[in-house]
Amino acid sequence: MTIPSITAQDILDQAESLRPQLKEGFRDEIVKSLYSEAARISGRAVHQVGNTKWDFDQKIDRLVTSPWTGLPIMLLLLAGVFWVTIVFANIPSQMIATALFWIEDQAANLFTSIGAPWWLTGFIWHGVYRGLAWVIAVMLPPMAIFFPIFTILEDLGYLPRVAFNLDWLFKRAGAHGKQALSMAMGFGCNAAGVISTRVIDSPRERLIAILTNNFVPCNGRFPTLIMLATVFVAASFSPTVSSFIAAGAVLAVVLIGVFFTLLMSWILSRTVLKGEASAFTLELPPYRKPNFSRILYTSLIDRTIFVLWRAIKTAAPAGALIWILANININGVSLAREIANFLNPFGLLLGLDGVIMLAYIIAIPANEIVVPTMMMVYSGVGMMTEITGFGEIRALLIDGNGWTMLTAINLMLFSLLHNPCGTTIWTIYKETKSTKWTVLSVVITLGTAFLVTFITASIARLLGWV
Amino acid sequence: MTNMITSACDTCPAHTQMAQMGLKIDNFDRVVALAGNPNTGKSTVFNALTGLKQHTGNWPGKTVTRAEGGYEFQSVKYKLVDLPGTYSLLSASQDEEVARNFILFGQPDCTIVVTDATALERNLNLALQVMEITDKVVIAVNLMDEARRKGLEVDTRSLARDLGVPAIPIVARTSEGMQTLLQTVADVIEGNILTSPLRMEGNDQYQAAVRTLAAQIEHLYPAIPNARWLAIRLLDGDDRVQQAILSGEVAELVSGQQRAEAQFSKQMAVAGRQ
Amino acid sequence: MDHLFPIIFWSSAVLLLLLLIFFPRRGMLARFKEYRQARQREQLEDTLKYLFGGQQSGHTLSAAELAASLQQPVARTVDLLKRMETQQLIENQEGNYRLTHSGEKSALHVVRAHRLWERYLADEALMPLENVHSMAHRREHGMTVAQVNALDAALGHPLQDPHGDPIPNASGNFRPHDQGSPLPQWQEGKIVKIVHLEDEPPLAFAQILAAGLQVGQVMRVMESNATRLVLTDGQDEFTLAPQVAANVFVSERSETAIVDEDVIPLGELADNQKAEIVRLDDQCMGFTRRRFLDLGFTPGTEIFPELQNSFGDPRAYRLRGTLIALRKEQAAQILVRPQLYQ
Ligand SMILES: Nc1nc2c(ncn2[C@@H]2O[C@H](COP(=O)(O)OP(=O)(O)O)[C@@H](O)[C@H]2O)c(=O)[nH]1
Ligand SMILES: [Mg+2]
Repeated sequence: MTIPSITAQDILDQAESLRPQLKEGFRDEIVKSLYSEAARISGRAVHQVGNTKWDFDQKIDRLVTSPWTGLPIMLLLLAGVFWVTIVFANIPSQMIATALFWIEDQAANLFTSIGAPWWLTGFIWHGVYRGLAWVIAVMLPPMAIFFPIFTILEDLGYLPRVAFNLDWLFKRAGAHGKQALSMAMGFGCNAAGVISTRVIDSPRERLIAILTNNFVPCNGRFPTLIMLATVFVAASFSPTVSSFIAAGAVLAVVLIGVFFTLLMSWILSRTVLKGEASAFTLELPPYRKPNFSRILYTSLIDRTIFVLWRAIKTAAPAGALIWILANININGVSLAREIANFLNPFGLLLGLDGVIMLAYIIAIPANEIVVPTMMMVYSGVGMMTEITGFGEIRALLIDGNGWTMLTAINLMLFSLLHNPCGTTIWTIYKETKSTKWTVLSVVITLGTAFLVTFITASIARLLGWV
Repeated sequence: MTNMITSACDTCPAHTQMAQMGLKIDNFDRVVALAGNPNTGKSTVFNALTGLKQHTGNWPGKTVTRAEGGYEFQSVKYKLVDLPGTYSLLSASQDEEVARNFILFGQPDCTIVVTDATALERNLNLALQVMEITDKVVIAVNLMDEARRKGLEVDTRSLARDLGVPAIPIVARTSEGMQTLLQTVADVIEGNILTSPLRMEGNDQYQAAVRTLAAQIEHLYPAIPNARWLAIRLLDGDDRVQQAILSGEVAELVSGQQRAEAQFSKQMAVAGRQ
Repeated sequence: MDHLFPIIFWSSAVLLLLLLIFFPRRGMLARFKEYRQARQREQLEDTLKYLFGGQQSGHTLSAAELAASLQQPVARTVDLLKRMETQQLIENQEGNYRLTHSGEKSALHVVRAHRLWERYLADEALMPLENVHSMAHRREHGMTVAQVNALDAALGHPLQDPHGDPIPNASGNFRPHDQGSPLPQWQEGKIVKIVHLEDEPPLAFAQILAAGLQVGQVMRVMESNATRLVLTDGQDEFTLAPQVAANVFVSERSETAIVDEDVIPLGELADNQKAEIVRLDDQCMGFTRRRFLDLGFTPGTEIFPELQNSFGDPRAYRLRGTLIALRKEQAAQILVRPQLYQ
């Protein structure tokens, strides 16, 4: 018997011709029978033996998504997280700073006493080491507190509820509600936030989420915000309320970030990323009891140490660079000062100053080292300004370097809005595989930062506030 | 270090049978895939077995690509593949592609379908679909602790009887039931446990169409393991399967994919650590 | 040396300018050529489509008629037609043009692309039906067969476009379908299903849409006379002028009464009211439909709007033991029957 030979194309044609013979809604039928089978089997295997906490979960869910309490609870939670972070990070930060700078002094003295040349002592201890010390003092405590709390919320299942609560706003902005999930991940690290946009199916909405993720301040930028909020915004209030004021200020900055996320999404979805809304479905998984030991481990080892280590890797060379810049003198003025002076007019235009601009340029690889860099330039590397706490920081900045409330507020805004750090830019490139979108992600953030700070500075000056 | 020998079940007498191998997956003997709906604890199982640190969290969609790691059980080396969560293998959103292509074209020696004991109905839908593709399936009924908390009793024996494949209750977080799971997977692979997965019937017309097509596919590609499923997908107009048939990719299923696998695992081993 | 500077300056300026214009693939000239080619291709494809449409309704078109449809001077149109003749896409019969066999094939390709795009825009992009045609018209051009096939597969091989026109399959055959007949031909009391809405002329189409009619709706003809036509779906009444109604094509439904009287879209279900899914809207096709099915939105399933939020949209529904949030637009595509007793 000879079998007629079949080609692949024949099979496809055969399928094509068989298809119309089947009832319309072939797929519907398959899925329906799958589900009814599944229901039958699970019905036989699962029995309710007592109605325990099941209702409790539903009650909680009603509370955190209700029209009346949903949004307030979300804001309170966010404010609460900031408050706890600020309150509990403050003292350890000061202690770590004191200890690390004490070590710097001792070590530098030791080096001098054993006759090491001044530049070696300076480079190692007032350069590299001081960069590291600043990064650890400013970053470690807030992160070690923020990450576990955040991970608890993530494990509990609260994040999809946030997406649920906010989806309407994102819809209005032409974006996808799951963008709220990627923003939440952005609080940890914008690069992680960019990767997590993969939960969004539609390429258009996903690009919007990628391009705007940076408007969420990541953990590298949080310490900056917290420090500025504590030292400037809240300092003039009595100690009992000052932590609340600081948390409120940080919350306000974050909300401004959310506002700009929505605004920029809106603009993008009506210009370069014009298009249609995609189908939206979001599963709200049941709450799960967080596993505390696991969470501590994940958040401290995987996240905190990971981010800190990354910061340290950039802080050391940055510290070295600053020390060199500060110690190369041209006509009696250090190179760092020279550059800062050069950048100063531009900085002033934005309500900032030249040193801040210089710090931002040096900190492009990792945003978290902005404050340390700035402090090193201000404190004039080489001379021994003793900074043992946040109180001295205030004195140094206001009395020594002419900071005003405008400088602090604009620095917070600038740090919220400016371009993504090197890692995030690289991640955006990897995720979009496009130079165009990568460049755009930098342009829109930096553009917004310049524009907004310029406007606030101009208004403040016009109204004579500064 | 991740390749340290730790136990998945300290109270088990045979706890030394199991070792986490982390990224040491250069020469594995068996490939096991973890499939399941989003949020059922696949990555938690993966982490518990391999000692690696896949991102887990209670929101759908956090695992977006597949991750690979290794474990050793009774001196057999397994490569474990953590797949993105999917509700179904029928559609073609990106993450579902990844999962589906692996189960179909990756030809794992065994697929563990991780299910949520508190939402079995929804989860079994996917399990049934996986069982259409392959015989080598073990159902892991995870989150048993949550089920208990909600007052649900899950009779895994009834489940196994109805499905025709083993169903093992586990709590991935505490590694409860993990030894039994691994033992079952090993038994299914070695043929000590024979499975007879439940397959959907459908109406006569549908049956006839599937049979016609499946016969043709088997004729063109004799050694193919799941012609029936391919036929169903063709009738449904599945673009990916059409292409695979046209390009002859289905014929290469076995040899080609395993080469690609080996390569992929090497890449992961290099790039995997951050 | 100084006198050389102007020369260097000017020659480099000229060089730059030349580069700007003539640079391969990126220069202005190349860009312009590219643009012109695309334009020409578009017009060619449109011509094929118009000729095909004419032939469907049984007549051929003259150069003047085609020029009017393409909105360009007759002379240019004649050029285009000549080119198409040499490519053996069309042939001239006493001043009128008709498609050759290969022309028909190409035309079917364009028609297929157009209707698939309409399907995509209506189903996946939830674009209002009146905009779908013009948007699809822009996107249908320059697609390869493989691209169109991919689109077809992604949409789940739909049979009809949102107006009810059939979509040819990959080999260029129209799949069998019910064309229906114009609404004014049907008597009062008949139960009919809308199978096609003619989108030309746009004014009539807009009125049909404004009246709230959709392909797939099942209606009873309440009144049919020379002045007006009234339909009902059991809840609302729809009134049309006879000229407009002539653009609505319907076919008979055998049911004796309008089924689904107590069926409402999920979006309109009251908070906390249990319901049973009856079906997914016929207009919900492709990826969205498949996603719904995969999530378990199958007929017979019990569903219950459990969570609202501050904006009232989306809502989360409990379905097969899980909570799934849907926006209003999605919820409108799922039809449910409220359970009156809880
Ligand atoms: N209570 C409990 N929670 C679990 C268990 N397994 C996983 N989880 C939690 O369920 C959530 C989802 O787990 P994950 O492994 O990320 O799920 P995947 O999406 O399937 O990879 C996480 O918050 C886990 O901590 C378990 O056995 N018991
Ligand atoms: Mg996972």
